[in-house]
Amino acid sequence: MFDLLGAALVNIVHVKYLLPLFLGTLAGVIGGALPGVTVTMTIIVALPFTFGLDPLQGLAAMAGLYVGGSAGGLVTAVLLGIPGTPSTVATTFDGYPMGRNGEPGRALWLGIWGSFFGGMLGGVFLIFTTKPLAEFALAFGPWEYFSLFVLALSMVAGLVETSLVKALVSGFIGLIVTVLGNDPMLGAPRLTLGIPFLEGGIPFLPVLIGVFAFAQIMSEVEKSGGAGAMTQPANSDANLKVSQLKVIWEILSRPFLLVWSAIIGVWIGVLPAIGGSAANIMSYDQAKKFSKHPEKFGTGIPEGIIASEAGNNANVGGSLVTIMAFGIPGDAVTAVMLGAMTIHGIQPGPLFISQHPQIAYGIFAAYIVAHPIMVLILGVGARWAMRIMTITKSTLFPIVLVLCVIGAFALDNSMDTVYVLLVFGVIGYLMVKAGFPLAPFILGAILGDQIEINLIRSIMTDPNPWLFVTRPISGLLLLAAVLSVVFSLWQHKRTQRRLAAAATPPSDEDIIDF
Amino acid sequence: MKRIAAFVLASLALAAGSALAAYPERPIKLIVPWGAGGDTDVIYRAFQPFFQQHLGGTIVIANIGGASGTKGAKEAKDSPADGYTIFAVHDSIHSTYWTGVADVAYTDFEPICLVSSTPSILTASPKAPWKDFKSMVADAKKRPGQITVGATLGSTSHFFPALVEKAAGIKFKYVPYEGTAGRMNALLGSHVDLGESNLTQKGKADAGHIRFLAIATEKRSEEIPNVPTLKEEGVDVEYAVNRGLLAPKGTPAPVLEKLRSACGAAAKEPGFAKAMKLQGTLVHYLNAQEYTAFLKKNDQVNKDLAKELGLLKR
Repeated sequence: MFDLLGAALVNIVHVKYLLPLFLGTLAGVIGGALPGVTVTMTIIVALPFTFGLDPLQGLAAMAGLYVGGSAGGLVTAVLLGIPGTPSTVATTFDGYPMGRNGEPGRALWLGIWGSFFGGMLGGVFLIFTTKPLAEFALAFGPWEYFSLFVLALSMVAGLVETSLVKALVSGFIGLIVTVLGNDPMLGAPRLTLGIPFLEGGIPFLPVLIGVFAFAQIMSEVEKSGGAGAMTQPANSDANLKVSQLKVIWEILSRPFLLVWSAIIGVWIGVLPAIGGSAANIMSYDQAKKFSKHPEKFGTGIPEGIIASEAGNNANVGGSLVTIMAFGIPGDAVTAVMLGAMTIHGIQPGPLFISQHPQIAYGIFAAYIVAHPIMVLILGVGARWAMRIMTITKSTLFPIVLVLCVIGAFALDNSMDTVYVLLVFGVIGYLMVKAGFPLAPFILGAILGDQIEINLIRSIMTDPNPWLFVTRPISGLLLLAAVLSVVFSLWQHKRTQRRLAAAATPPSDEDIIDF
Repeated sequence: MKRIAAFVLASLALAAGSALAAYPERPIKLIVPWGAGGDTDVIYRAFQPFFQQHLGGTIVIANIGGASGTKGAKEAKDSPADGYTIFAVHDSIHSTYWTGVADVAYTDFEPICLVSSTPSILTASPKAPWKDFKSMVADAKKRPGQITVGATLGSTSHFFPALVEKAAGIKFKYVPYEGTAGRMNALLGSHVDLGESNLTQKGKADAGHIRFLAIATEKRSEEIPNVPTLKEEGVDVEYAVNRGLLAPKGTPAPVLEKLRSACGAAAKEPGFAKAMKLQGTLVHYLNAQEYTAFLKKNDQVNKDLAKELGLLKR
């Protein structure tokens, strides 16, 4: 095994493979950083270019693209407060405040190195535990998925900022969004109002971009006031200089946070369903739960950035596990990789690693080498990207909005998704104005479909509802969900009490009884 | 005035004529109504270079997935009928129409040609208690409606086991799993007992992670000579997922002619056959006339089946 991996690593640094790997990573970083352009879209655009290459060249390019794409979104998240990809939602929570507090460089590099170390840990899992992890994942039937997503949804309680009621309402609106459209099983129309477009349901990406980008930009515009302020740079006194060693130490001095975030990321990746969009929020929530000072989350602290970025890059390693072990794609990106393999006549499946060790270990090697390349690209790019902070807002915001609209259009090549973007931009803005947190909304919108589908599957397989509790993994996950809510409420109450003791009395609805 | 009108008309006709002569003078969009990397996508990506070569123009594959392949179908139907948008169709267009998932029917298009057929294989999970098709049928007769089948409801993976059900006089229980990947996962993890698959899953069968019970072809496949046909097992079912090309209704005849002859020539390329073999797929070329009859017959079969399944919405 080690000799195979060693040989593959030596092989991959040949120019023949290194060049596609580098170009793939570069494309991934750019695609990831552009709001509205996802890793999936980038890889589909890149796919035809790999047809002329040999299989490993093509797969190296894709592995690089996947790694680069998962990290690239952090640039937009930190500098603009808009997630560049759905997997960087949680990075905005602390990355953007840190940037606005005058330390965008530190926030950026925390994200970059967090991605690096998280991804490398994900690689360790990928290489050493592919078989057992994948077999454990197969034990997950619809009951287990349902309970897992209920656990994920219970994190709404952990994302409460001030009012529990508002967080629940926000999460609920998110769930409603997923109900719109034809039901996922037999296509019975729900709340479609006879509009054909709504039959297909509301696509998630324009919702995300609309809610974040539009709401973010509108409140910025409001804050800056008249036209005069708009010509001010976004943040002219930003501290762009950082000590790399200090940032790396900030990450490595929190080994538990790093490893735990990576484990969550890998595991969500191994389960073929939701991927990075849930992994980063789950890692963030866990970091907050284990933290000694949970009330500081959201104000721009390093833990939040590290958890989110380590989680989403480890997720890539996890996604590759299922495709390596069974030849089944875990998400849209690995589905494209699978297609690329079959085009070259390689049949992925349980025998893939033993039948094509050169390609399998080549993918492992490409995944590992992509990480330092990603750091290099982002490192060079960061200096350049941070100039964004010196562009005047009146120039920057229209450009960002245009990019968002292009991204939404490209998703489907249709205007309908652009209208979705617009509608949810307004909804997101109104929610922010009324003090409703956006994170529970996004979580509901991510998880709603999966909860529903797996609930229906379970009941259709066996009508006995007790199976959710009596199947051991499912039962444990549900128990964890209950404990998670109780713990979050306790943590929240404690924080509130501390704040109350500090001075200002909380308003009525901020007090939670249980 | 009349003269001017005549002149304008004549010059327009001339322009149209020259445009047709030059067709294709810009890239042609081939809408694949499924995600990149899926079976349909892979088949047309293999077909694309041969088709381009015989057509003498560029073809761009656009993956417009979603809503059981009906989103892309709708987009193709609404595109201008100028030959610059063509549509990669498979049998689900019939089932989604009759089950009311979409308003797009094959009659909204002009047939170009049929390209390929991927025979279906009835596949069992590794933990299923039976080793062959006969004992599965015996078990199903003992406990009707208990054996679970993973399927995309209303699509080909649902209709194929339903045909088996009907022919063998047994009853299954269907559990919705969208797409091949989801279905294969459920089979590997034994969360369902049966499902439809094809030769692309041979690796998993070789490793003993799934079990091929019977193939829905007339004769046994060379790739898996040990797997009996459904006919041998006494069940008269032949089933394959058939993929062809359509153009929006009203596409000019000369343009259709060009597309049809290029499609025929490309489908006969040995390189394409080789690529399809890797996909567990047969090249199954039918010219426009044969394909029209094929579509009509297939549509009726799907309508009858939808009715029997209680899914008919029209």
